[in-house]
Amino acid sequence: MRGTPRAQRPFTTTAMHVPPRLRTTRRTLGPTPRSLAFALPLALALSLALLPRTGHAQTSRADESQRTAPTPDRRSPRALRTIAIDERLVRDKGLALGDTLEVAATPGGAGERVLVGAIVRRAADPSEVARAEYRVRLHLDQLQALTGSGDKVDRFAVAVTPGATDAAVAAINARSFGFRAHPSRAVAAETSRTFAVVSRFNRAIGVITIVASAIFLLCIMLLKVEERRRDVAALRLLGISRRTVTGAVVLQASCIAVLGSAAGVAFGYVCSAIINWYYRGVYRTPLAFSLVTPGTVAFSVALSLVLGIGAGLLAARRLTGVPPLSLFGR
Amino acid sequence: MRLALAWSSLFRHPVRTALAVLGVAVSAAMLLDMVMLASGMQVSFRALLMRQGFEIRLTPKGTLPFDTEARIARAASAESSLRAMPGVREISPVLGTTLHVVRGEASEACFALGIRPAVQGDYELEQGRDAEGDDQLVANTTFLARTGAVVGDTLELAAGYDAQLRTWTARRRVIVAGRGRFLYLAADQAAVALPLGALQAMLAPGGVDEVSLFMVKTVPGRDVEGLRAGIERVLPRVTAIATADAVRSVEERLSYFRQLAFILGTVSLIVGFLLVSTLVTVSVQERVGEMAVMRALGISRPHIAQQVMLEGLAISVVGAVLGLALGLLTAEYLNGILRTFPGLPAAIDFFVFEPRAAWQSFGLLIVTAVLAGAFPAWRAASLPIATTLRTEAVS
Repeated sequence: MRGTPRAQRPFTTTAMHVPPRLRTTRRTLGPTPRSLAFALPLALALSLALLPRTGHAQTSRADESQRTAPTPDRRSPRALRTIAIDERLVRDKGLALGDTLEVAATPGGAGERVLVGAIVRRAADPSEVARAEYRVRLHLDQLQALTGSGDKVDRFAVAVTPGATDAAVAAINARSFGFRAHPSRAVAAETSRTFAVVSRFNRAIGVITIVASAIFLLCIMLLKVEERRRDVAALRLLGISRRTVTGAVVLQASCIAVLGSAAGVAFGYVCSAIINWYYRGVYRTPLAFSLVTPGTVAFSVALSLVLGIGAGLLAARRLTGVPPLSLFGR
Repeated sequence: MRLALAWSSLFRHPVRTALAVLGVAVSAAMLLDMVMLASGMQVSFRALLMRQGFEIRLTPKGTLPFDTEARIARAASAESSLRAMPGVREISPVLGTTLHVVRGEASEACFALGIRPAVQGDYELEQGRDAEGDDQLVANTTFLARTGAVVGDTLELAAGYDAQLRTWTARRRVIVAGRGRFLYLAADQAAVALPLGALQAMLAPGGVDEVSLFMVKTVPGRDVEGLRAGIERVLPRVTAIATADAVRSVEERLSYFRQLAFILGTVSLIVGFLLVSTLVTVSVQERVGEMAVMRALGISRPHIAQQVMLEGLAISVVGAVLGLALGLLTAEYLNGILRTFPGLPAAIDFFVFEPRAAWQSFGLLIVTAVLAGAFPAWRAASLPIATTLRTEAVS
């Protein structure tokens, strides 16, 4: 369940900047100039599920992996506080655990020196695929002080006992604290609307592709069977019944359809692997962009079998309906 | 002569030819759609950005317009600096935030833009007057539908909610002066536009000296990229985005569709190629005897090759013409699906028909048809006359 300010969506972001003049230092190696890493101010969109009030940088999602560095004692006035940074930021700007950064709410504004205490890998979240900005996670009070937002948060995540979600949502909304509570499933439905559209688009494209493939398959099967008109004529002249000839042609068509389907499934797996490899690299996400599921395979194979057998049957009936000598061209 | 022979050859197997033409038509439709998709977003988005003539947009450093809640601080000073720059013709500051329409216990949230009516480029007025006074606003159709208000009504707006006092804060009574079409907002997004000063005053006592972005018009003929770089030098706390950069940014975010278009367009061409080449090859295979006789009668090799290639071309041309019509229909349908993207400006189209796209698809199909017919044509033209005739006679 998520609680957000009244009538607002649960997800908003705040931009933060690393001052351009900053140099980073790696705690374990002593001061190291990294002016290149901060040549450009970085727009850091902050996660709203901020860090708990502890000395350790942690992520709010269980499925996000992280590496952590030893954290200095917060009680020491000279110790730096830790933040968690995005793996993309690490890769692009050459940062590492233990580096010292300065973060500020505005470019060139007053900032705070912090220590990179953890590196966070983004979860396989489709809603973040197209977002290119970097992210850092700070302690709640640290971010509130930096942005001057006082004792304010954007949202609360509330755990309730199983089955009590709706009652809790209703209770919170009824008390009207200036919050609007949303069940997590409603938030998920809202944020997945984009993907519902993509899914509808892909389905429509899929239907067009299937129509094109079906026509192609029908055409090829028709040609393959018609190629055998002389064989069919010979079989008929030898006294083989129409039914047997039709059965043989359909069987051959089925074999071709099965072999074609097997090749198609293998090709599909290879294409899927290439697509996932490519898009995972482009968007730097562990998300799977293409999935070859048993259902997809079953549907494709069934479709090719139906089309193959249908085309074979159609062509066989056309051939067996013609006198054998006509098939010979006489 | 060649065309007539090719035509009669195709009509010898009408079912087969019809299927091939249909297959090519579907491939051509898909190809046209994908060519339209590949360039449509760019064309549509560029047209949207250039609609009001603002070539440069300034946002807080490292962000895109309204991508985050970050704002440009010391806006008045930034505007003065911009005005002092040669090449800057007009500046339109914009502040975006959420406001609430308060009606007793109920409230309706809406997106609010603070603008200067005389230079704003965010909406087109459809009815009534512009928001000239601090107590006036322009609303879109969605807002009016949700609140039940009409032009001329008075509404009560609030900027926030005090949870402890349980009251709305920064209330202001405003008159709905006009109805406008907001160019950069989604059709289902309730939105209003107020004078910039009025909205800034609502956000904090004494007003905030902040804006979400500046839109800049340049002097005609001025080097936009040079001016953009100059702005970033003068105002290092902002990112200046030229229209071309913005289009590029959006393309990067939606590169999925461009790449999908490329892949499916290629697949369409391959399917078309295989279909035509298979059909023509089988057709040639069935008529080797006939072609050997033609060669024996003195018909030249180029004549035979041209006839075979014409068969492939005829299938492709007829299929492409059918495909064009089919493609426009499917593009309309697919565009309807993609336009339901949440938050997408209503004026954005993914599939935009341009004659160039149609000619490009047609040209690609013709080249594919020529390539598909080349191999069977070469085979037909290079048949050994005597051997082929003997084989045909024996079989």
